[in-house]
Amino acid sequence: MRRADLVFERPEDRFAREPPEIRGQSRDDVRLLVTRPDGHRHARFGDLPQFLRPGDLLVVNESAAIPASLPAEGRLGPILLNLSTRFRSDLWIAEPRWTAGRPGPLPLRSGEELRVGRAAVRLLSPYPGIPRLWFALADRPLEPIIVDRGAPIHYGYTQAWPMDIYQTLFSRVPGSAEMPSAARPITPRIRERLEEAGVGIAPILLHTGVSSLEIEADTVEGQAMYPEPVTVSKKTADAVNRTHAEGDRVIAVGTTVVRALESAWTPEGVRPVAGFTRLFVNPDRGIHAVDGLLTGFHDPATSHLAMLGAFLGMARVRSAYADAVRHGYLWHEFGDSHLILQAEDA
Amino acid sequence: MTSRSAEPDNVALITGASRGLGRVLAGFLATQGYGLIIAARGESELRTAAGELASAGVPVVSIPGDVREAGLRHQLRMAAERWGRLDLLVNNASELGDSPLQPLVLASRETARRVFEVNTLAPVALVQATLPLLIRSRGLVVNITSDAAVGGYPGWGVYGASKAALDLVSKTLAAELRDEGVAVVSVDPGDMRTTMHQDAYPGQDISDRPLPDVTVPFWAWLLSQPRMAVSGMRYQAQAPLWEVPA
Repeated sequence: MRRADLVFERPEDRFAREPPEIRGQSRDDVRLLVTRPDGHRHARFGDLPQFLRPGDLLVVNESAAIPASLPAEGRLGPILLNLSTRFRSDLWIAEPRWTAGRPGPLPLRSGEELRVGRAAVRLLSPYPGIPRLWFALADRPLEPIIVDRGAPIHYGYTQAWPMDIYQTLFSRVPGSAEMPSAARPITPRIRERLEEAGVGIAPILLHTGVSSLEIEADTVEGQAMYPEPVTVSKKTADAVNRTHAEGDRVIAVGTTVVRALESAWTPEGVRPVAGFTRLFVNPDRGIHAVDGLLTGFHDPATSHLAMLGAFLGMARVRSAYADAVRHGYLWHEFGDSHLILQAEDA
Repeated sequence: MTSRSAEPDNVALITGASRGLGRVLAGFLATQGYGLIIAARGESELRTAAGELASAGVPVVSIPGDVREAGLRHQLRMAAERWGRLDLLVNNASELGDSPLQPLVLASRETARRVFEVNTLAPVALVQATLPLLIRSRGLVVNITSDAAVGGYPGWGVYGASKAALDLVSKTLAAELRDEGVAVVSVDPGDMRTTMHQDAYPGQDISDRPLPDVTVPFWAWLLSQPRMAVSGMRYQAQAPLWEVPA
């Protein structure tokens, strides 16, 4: 698959710049595009339960966002160090940026030191194949500095909001550099209606790194992927397998859940796992562990878009996105939602 | 031989460290401040590597020689003794055998013996030689293996058998040394653009293989895990999932 297959046109004014609750609306007051093999439906997020059936299982990510954007100072002057992935308290993958709105790569050297609060942070080497990410080694644990000085990672189209804006109903274990945002519109009243409709909910844990990778390689398969910590419990693995055994559907709430469950997938079913996953779900690899995905709208040429292609084929992704552009859907973490359901086998 | 005498907080011993995977791992450890003891057969290449590694500001001891020689293993142990610790032992030096590779039915006893001595017996001997230091530092032993150990690929029989034996060595040592607090893992780095891979396919274009720095994220991950939690595992550095057993 070529990088060019993942490129589409979208006007810049389609970025959601603020969460709906800032305008006095409810989190679930966003739109829902429903894509099935036979076409698209336009709905409101509150309509979600009517597209699901008793016995369906929603799998959610329990990871909570942390304020991972740290002010740093070094040879280049004041910069930002956005922490992406924690290997140890003192060893992280991080993205040095000029500012929230101005990305790198910065002209940094291996061994260069940054001052981050009380910590001295040494940049060890760039991530192989992803030059804007670095391995960063601190002279002390970074968690206390995150608590003292961290801001939520955000980009040029929006601002840093209070941390509770970035948490979902299911956020329980801190560790994500950016919020797993697909569950943001699931409010207590929606969860209640899902439960009344006989839809199950099960958790996984995957701490997200910095945003979906812009694919830089010529082919999608050649793209380097950085790893993310993942845990799928036995209880959730059993729930997924039971759902499939009964002919019901497993719906991933967010691309992180797809990555987690597909990492845990074997031809015999989903098994419990704990570790780091670098799995790249794309049309060549295909989808095995889930039957649908509730997500947002993703940027052109990103790995997330390749994952959507694994569900729908890239032609249907392009058609869904053209529809979303035409109907004014909003992109990014505070934007509208997209429910993708694979073919009905009933 | 010794570029600096300061006592490092962590010490790693890497064989076959003058180029390829061993060199990349040594470089990554140097940026983290590890004291390095490196060995390889080619003296001038090793000296160049030692100089480059020392420029990161870490102490480096380089000792040229063949891991089959007890004398080299003794010198490596003495180098670790001087720093009083050994946190990481990487048995990376490997012998491919005939180049181009030969089918097993044509393999000579002489080649097979050399391959097993380098790939299987020398790692055991180096663990034996450095065991008191590994125990004192509650160290990690990494034995570099290969997918040839499980593949049954034509031409890779001698090399693959020696690495399959090494996998069993890793697993057995992990069980035997658990109570001593020493962890042992096997790591298959995956296909890479290295001299050894080129020797396996002389004259062929191997530029589609990634450079050995593709393994750096795996090393960062492995060295961040509690050692005993991963002991006994066999990892593939380029696999999509790195698991810690339940």
